[in-house]
Amino acid sequence: MNMRKREALWFYIMVSPWAIGFLVFTLGPMVYSAYLSLTNWDLFNPPQFVGFQNYIDLFTKDKIFWKAVGNTFYYGLTSMVLGMVSALWLANLLNKPLPGMRVYRTLLYIPATVPVLASSLLFIRLLAPDAGLVNQFLALFGIDGPPWLLSPVWVKPALILMSLWGVGAGTTLLLAGMKGIPMEFYEAAALDGANSRQQFWHITLPMLSPVIFFNLVMGLIGSLQTFTEVYIVTGGGPNNASKMIVPYLFDNAFRWYKMGYASAIAWVLFGIALLFTVLVFRSSSLWVYYESEVKK
Amino acid sequence: MNLNLRMPEKITVYAILTALSTLLGVPLLYVFSIALASDETTYLAKFTLIPQEFHFENFIRVFSLDLNFTRFFMNSFTLVFFAIIGQLVSSSMVAYGFARLRAPGKDILFMILLSTMMIPGEVTMIPSFILFRYFGWINTLLPLIVPNFFTNAFNVFLLRQFIARIPTEMDEAAQIDGLGYFGIYTRIIIPMIKPALIAIAINTFTWNWGWFMGPLIYINDFEKAPLALGVQILSATSSSGQVPPWNLVMVGSLLLTLPMLVTYFFGQKYMDEFGVIGGSAAIK
Repeated sequence: MNMRKREALWFYIMVSPWAIGFLVFTLGPMVYSAYLSLTNWDLFNPPQFVGFQNYIDLFTKDKIFWKAVGNTFYYGLTSMVLGMVSALWLANLLNKPLPGMRVYRTLLYIPATVPVLASSLLFIRLLAPDAGLVNQFLALFGIDGPPWLLSPVWVKPALILMSLWGVGAGTTLLLAGMKGIPMEFYEAAALDGANSRQQFWHITLPMLSPVIFFNLVMGLIGSLQTFTEVYIVTGGGPNNASKMIVPYLFDNAFRWYKMGYASAIAWVLFGIALLFTVLVFRSSSLWVYYESEVKK
Repeated sequence: MNLNLRMPEKITVYAILTALSTLLGVPLLYVFSIALASDETTYLAKFTLIPQEFHFENFIRVFSLDLNFTRFFMNSFTLVFFAIIGQLVSSSMVAYGFARLRAPGKDILFMILLSTMMIPGEVTMIPSFILFRYFGWINTLLPLIVPNFFTNAFNVFLLRQFIARIPTEMDEAAQIDGLGYFGIYTRIIIPMIKPALIAIAINTFTWNWGWFMGPLIYINDFEKAPLALGVQILSATSSSGQVPPWNLVMVGSLLLTLPMLVTYFFGQKYMDEFGVIGGSAAIK
């Protein structure tokens, strides 16, 4: 065997775990899922082919699904924008050349280490209407706190509040990015008389835009997949006010055994994720600054 | 970042950070307070922010419940251990292949690998469930463990960036010394990317330790549940009038959180590097 062939053979051996995994756990299931989405199947009787009926029902009849889509966008966009802005603000504070910043960074990060399941259980207690800590605190100022998780209006802000508790995760990533910005830029700007605000807007933010972009794409896909918070804290209630796409998919598949319909939901979710990712990528050239070495 | 901060500016920074750290810390204090509360306080839901009672025995009681917390821990450890082994072996192999070896079709395969990062796992969730059910793997940890041995695109992508930074002269020198491709992988590449492998191990741990949805789908038998699912089972009540044992649930939450916290403290420096490279690698 010549050198070239030997190398190629080793390449195929080395990437085989991924290639096999891709076929068995990604491509195969996707094809099967596409087929399932065209059937009605309760997992026990043979699947019935129904054509595009599931999609037609989904788009024309299923009000709960569209409510779930709306809720997911409301929750996803609000928590992402608020999370990103506060993480940027915090990272910028932590990036100041002052002693003790590492300690603050750790303190702010600790809530982000709490698994979603645990923080979900905690927020049930924190936001309990009467006995909860948040409303007890508001009562100190004579404010009659809202019934949070029991109110269709307040349940989504409650979940957003919960997501903001983990702001330390994003902060740490952005801070790491900020540390990578060469000091000379700031020195030069300071010589030109730029104050901290100007330095932030004209150096930190543009230099950080690739990191922000990366977090945005990942956060977008992540927030479309919100599940545990809803499943644990609200169960999608009250009156579906906090129902989101993946919990609805889960209900259809594993509670009601509507495997075909649930597969159709999964494909619509995929479509939405793809659409958003493409939009963000398309728009990135407008606002993401690439260093020359990065641009290929 | 202004290089010379004036005094009022410094004070403002410290004041804001102290206030926010306190605000974010308060829920944690509340967890401790609930975890240390008596059963009576729990039943009445009269929890206070500052602990008034100190029932440390709650931390021992969770291990003698009908729900077997020792088993939950063992299940979580098993899951996490094999998930880490699987990810380390498979992702380093695949990343080495993509970073160093030349073969027809490589670029197309890499494009496919990148594009799979954009696919939400939910699309494959139902068929995967049907597949694992066909294998008879329901109520085992296998559906949660086995896919880790087939790597994930994100880890491959990051490791490939790390390997690309190692000078190819090292491979060539090793080749002259008679090492084959597999030898280069085990003797040269693996030792050089150790920090990145540690970061992947930490990431895999973090992801699997608190994972709830997977166990919820695949495990119905309480004995087989990992800790996150076990804590949820403890918190779920059978009838609507029943009050969950919040004190023990919070003990469970703390036990679930503690390994994450320890991992964060010891793994911070590796994750920092991982974060920076992750952030900048993603745009290349």
